[in-house]
Amino acid sequence: MSVPILKQGDVLIASIQAALSDNDLVKLRDDLAAKVGRFRSRGVVIDVTALDVLDSFASRTLRGIAQTTRLRGAQTVIVGVQPEVAMAMVQLGLTLEGVDTALDLEEGLELLGVAIPQDRTL
Amino acid sequence: MLDQKLSSSIIDLTEMDIARRQAFVDLGAADLTRIAAVKATVLQHLDEHVGAFFDFLAPIEEARGLFRTASLLEEARRLKRMHLMAMVQGGYGRGYMDERLQLCEIYRRAFLDVRVFLGGYHCLVTSIGRRVMEQFPKDAKAGFEHLASLKKITYVDIALVVDAMVSDRETTIARQQDAIRELSTPTLQIRDRLLIMPIVGLMDSHRAKQLTDGLLNAIRANRAKVVVMDVTGMATIDSRVANHFIQTVAAARLMGAKVIVTGLSADVAQSMVVLGVDLSSLNTVGDLQGGLEEAERSLGYRVVRIQDAPLHAAAA
Amino acid sequence: MTDPLRVAVDRDIDVVTARQAGRELAAKIGFSGCDLTLIATAISEVARNIIVYAERGEIVLSAVADGGRRGLQVVAHDEGPGIADAELAMRDGYSTGKSLGLGLPGARRLMDELELDSEVGRGTTVTMKKWL
Repeated sequence: MSVPILKQGDVLIASIQAALSDNDLVKLRDDLAAKVGRFRSRGVVIDVTALDVLDSFASRTLRGIAQTTRLRGAQTVIVGVQPEVAMAMVQLGLTLEGVDTALDLEEGLELLGVAIPQDRTL
Repeated sequence: MLDQKLSSSIIDLTEMDIARRQAFVDLGAADLTRIAAVKATVLQHLDEHVGAFFDFLAPIEEARGLFRTASLLEEARRLKRMHLMAMVQGGYGRGYMDERLQLCEIYRRAFLDVRVFLGGYHCLVTSIGRRVMEQFPKDAKAGFEHLASLKKITYVDIALVVDAMVSDRETTIARQQDAIRELSTPTLQIRDRLLIMPIVGLMDSHRAKQLTDGLLNAIRANRAKVVVMDVTGMATIDSRVANHFIQTVAAARLMGAKVIVTGLSADVAQSMVVLGVDLSSLNTVGDLQGGLEEAERSLGYRVVRIQDAPLHAAAA
Repeated sequence: MTDPLRVAVDRDIDVVTARQAGRELAAKIGFSGCDLTLIATAISEVARNIIVYAERGEIVLSAVADGGRRGLQVVAHDEGPGIADAELAMRDGYSTGKSLGLGLPGARRLMDELELDSEVGRGTTVTMKKWL
């Protein structure tokens, strides 16, 4: 199952819809790397609102995505981590260190310096 | 009228549990035979035995909850009668246990104390015992043995009732403790995107977990970007609690919120260092006021005192 | 409810299947929302270990009772290479980053109990329990 990646100006938005297998995550990483390069994006927002579990592999992959995109000149923001998921992550020692986080898509775009249109639907 | 699901979830009745309860009283085939032998006798005087139970309870203060509403009392009598019939039927599996628990549900709604219940139950068993002994006028020993077999079932009953009523009490206590914890760690939104969480009193793992839970949910509900967590009012902070805070701060960051910890005295900070707790991930400010100011600054607020200049020009 | 539920784990998608099955069973047992996530995450970690180190194995989920309390038991079993140094595997590398990276200390923090039974050449069994 691949994750839809939307382009909004010079920012890419990846909205994860459901639980992802390890392969799906790796595919997302590769997709984003390719698209950041192709569109010369300066920002990436990954929305994990729908993920009910964020384990060590997912955490490693997200950090990997942030590193790769940074090498290509883009800033990555992870948004939508749910309270319960955040609790589980910190108990596992996963802090997504080095990766920017924001509460939701709107906050994430604001962090990247993107003007939010009046109509929030994207 | 009664919630079937509720009664069997008061206590967990697995097949294993039911078998164990029967084993505890050493219920065997010989017992079942004897119970069958006295079945008719018990059934013949059902109302007498049910009466013995309720007549005992009627004058007792702690049992008045059972007699307050006619419908509740009627339901209790009906179920009691049915239960006595079931007691001599010979099948003591899940169906029997569930019925017993249904009666417990009534006692729960009537706030019947378990000690008072036992008093009434004793009267009931005595009443049954009298009639059973009468069935064996020339052979007291046989009468006693038959009664002993029937009594095994009464012991299963008592164990179930005590378990149900005690677990009910424990559930209430746990719920009350939760409510107290909840009330003692509120999160207050004092400005757009800014929350304060004043923490007062003692902290244990349970409370710490509830605190984190409450904080993270408050961040989401209020879309908070900064949280000022004030620990001035905390009696003691040990390394375990400090580690909880560190985790809470890390979890809040995953949700895009910054946490400023205020009220951590220099002494406490020092002792944390000595204990090897790494406080570097915590953003600490000496006092609450300082913390609030920093929070407001980071949100782009600047608080200015209104000067003596007139607020508005007088109308011309 | 007392029959154990077995989930075969040999492809990465099974990690998701196992943790969702665990979440469902835990919900039936009566665990709260927050605990459900902790449990699902712990299962995810041990299930992934199976894939990564042993290629195939299984997760067995069951409801357990001990005296008055009820809980969930998760057994992750494989016949892979086994862990040479169990002590190192359980060492908490949380602060030093020097753990074996199997996520076992973390999983233990998420659950209430965790037992590791492993021998080189024989395989690995991780038994975890969480109580209501």
